[in-house]
Amino acid sequence: MTRFPDTAHGPISADDMALWCDLLADDNQIHLSRDAAAAAGFGPNRVNPGPANLAYLISAMMAADPDGDVSRIDAQFLGNVVEGDTVIARDEGDHAALYRAGDDLPVVKVRR
Amino acid sequence: MTQAAAPKVGETLPAGRFDLTAARDDLVRRMSDAPARSDQRAHPIFAFVGALGGLPLPIADLSTGLGLAFADGPVLARCQIDATRPLEVGRCYTVTARILDIQRKPSRRFGQADHLHLAITLSDGAPFTETRLHIIFPATETP
Repeated sequence: MTRFPDTAHGPISADDMALWCDLLADDNQIHLSRDAAAAAGFGPNRVNPGPANLAYLISAMMAADPDGDVSRIDAQFLGNVVEGDTVIARDEGDHAALYRAGDDLPVVKVRR
Repeated sequence: MTQAAAPKVGETLPAGRFDLTAARDDLVRRMSDAPARSDQRAHPIFAFVGALGGLPLPIADLSTGLGLAFADGPVLARCQIDATRPLEVGRCYTVTARILDIQRKPSRRFGQADHLHLAITLSDGAPFTETRLHIIFPATETP
């Protein structure tokens, strides 16, 4: 698979979170309500839907190989992205990973 | 009025549909900074988006019907997508979901947690994608 450079995306917008939820038919309130996110222990900001985080990573791969096909994705979701975050997609050789800017631990890892 | 039976582990749900429009693909590409579409192929994340968005009932209702605590903030743990062919815009896919397993396990975050495993295919007669999801729910009193 074609290597890709570090790719930043953000800041993550609450309006886009709502659009993702609409596409996913997912009304989990941690994505839509700050009160719900706080009550569920995620802190004061709305939590980005996991598929959106995976999409940022796939899009960074696509930018490096626009005509390539993706036949298999194996993704682990290890952390959360919240509204206002900027994220970095990073090629790490045998896997690709998404980080919150400034963090050392990935929020998503995709085996390549 | 007939009330739908609660879903069960091992069950295949009634088929749903997902309309993969060019407008939806454009939106996902904009929101994820993907390159513009150059042919009919849609963004690969639609294997996941169509899987949930095309269920015959929202994931919240499916989870609640399985006795899982959707309102307490479930988290996505893993997804595995296998694509036989790229999904394309301008097609309406049949969405077929199987409930593979639910297991209760100790959890550092929740104390106890219920682990739901689903397999969801998008097809139009022939298979396009299969997406396997592992979602973790804070455990309620009765699994």
